[in-house]
Amino acid sequence: MKLGILPKLFKNLFSKPMTVRFPYESIPIPDGYRGEHAYDMEKCISCGLCAKICPNRAIEMVEASKEYKDKYPKTYPKIDLGKCCFCGLCEDICPENAIKLTKNFFLSTFDDSNVIRPPMPKAEEQIND
Amino acid sequence: MIDQMEPAPKDTEYDLYFGPAHPGSGNFGVKLKIDGEIVTSARADPGYLHRGFEKLMEYRTPIQNAVLSDRICVLEPLNWNLVHAEAVDELMGIDVPERAKYIRVIMAELSRIQSHIIWYGVFSIGTGFDTGFKMAFGYRDYILDLFEMITGGRVYPAGYICPGGVRRDFPNGAADKILKVLDKMGEMIKLEELENPALDARARGVGTLKVKDAIRLGATGPVLRGSGMKTDVRKEEPYEVYDRLDFEVPVRSEMDAYARYMIGIEEMKQSIKIVKQALEELPEGEVIAPKFKRPRVKVKIPEGEVYVRNEAARGEAAIYMVSDGESKPYRCKIRGPDFLHMIPVLEYLLKGAQIADVPAIYWSLNICPADMDR
Repeated sequence: MKLGILPKLFKNLFSKPMTVRFPYESIPIPDGYRGEHAYDMEKCISCGLCAKICPNRAIEMVEASKEYKDKYPKTYPKIDLGKCCFCGLCEDICPENAIKLTKNFFLSTFDDSNVIRPPMPKAEEQIND
Repeated sequence: MIDQMEPAPKDTEYDLYFGPAHPGSGNFGVKLKIDGEIVTSARADPGYLHRGFEKLMEYRTPIQNAVLSDRICVLEPLNWNLVHAEAVDELMGIDVPERAKYIRVIMAELSRIQSHIIWYGVFSIGTGFDTGFKMAFGYRDYILDLFEMITGGRVYPAGYICPGGVRRDFPNGAADKILKVLDKMGEMIKLEELENPALDARARGVGTLKVKDAIRLGATGPVLRGSGMKTDVRKEEPYEVYDRLDFEVPVRSEMDAYARYMIGIEEMKQSIKIVKQALEELPEGEVIAPKFKRPRVKVKIPEGEVYVRNEAARGEAAIYMVSDGESKPYRCKIRGPDFLHMIPVLEYLLKGAQIADVPAIYWSLNICPADMDR
């Protein structure tokens, strides 16, 4: 019987583990990762293409909430992250680059109100990146 | 459907459920009738993972279906992206740019390597070799890192190979990184090839499938090649740029689980060869046809029907698509290679086997319940 695995075994004894301690450290996320959406209400022209292309119908065009309704009278995308499959078609189709997918993948939550993102102007929105 | 369990007429006879909620079976169940240690009959029980892709695809446009086609098989999403994209390209008569064709081949082959690594991993854990499983999933992550960099998602590329080409070009330095990862895969193959007496004892002479039976039961891909028939869609009906690339089709004559396991290793070597050649010849230029440069909500598919078949990691993957001139396909039939591997072939092989050999036979077929149930 040959013991070809032994060199590998000794190498593994003195090398770092393949995994990282996730919540404390993370592997580097490359550019172009499809994570949470960053939505810019100033750029949005309310064309509704993102809602039409969305394969999971996660985007719905709704009116802005009362405090912004005077400034933003049209309909804007409301994103349901629970339905979203992070395909990035909304990003690709947007003619004004108003929706972009960011590198933030840390979206697990116990609070279901965090899952649905109503349209909000950027200054008010807290993007934890 | 499984019937109610019947009372056993003899003391030595009983029913045994292998799956579907068992970690060793993966979302798929087999009902075994056992006499002592011998399986007297096996009945596959599909449907646990049914999601109804064929119907879902009738309600979506091709660009949305490209995203959906990832999910047909979790372990090789890019291969299924490719089949779907080719079907739409052929129906619409789109000229795919040269660079996109090469990128498609590179990504499909990387996906095949990754899928074969999982095959090795699950085959190892099925036969009680836990280290193999850990090793396989560790090395697979190198390829997932590549996918993350190129497509933006680790497991699901979200229709990276879409009708008209591919959705993004390679980022800077991708070729170098791919070559580095291929070196790592070479390491993995060396580890897989190490002499493993436990695996020899578990797999040699187990689950023998003769060529005649394999053809009769509809086996394709690695299972049929493990039975000794030289067949590969990439050679017989070359798609994309496979006719320009130099590679061999591994065949083994032992016909047992061990032969199929070795076919997986040989195929990984050939895939590495293909990716290296394709990276060398990779031309410059556009990566997507002008018609699909920006995703469009309404794209009319011309009337017609098409049957496209590809060599996926598990065998022959095919899509039959009918269009009646609307923007959504009228019918989209998906032929998953594992439907035939997991029902007729598996039932045939399990009959007369020992209970202890069931996992070895089951995992040696390179199964994926996702593409069987669709």
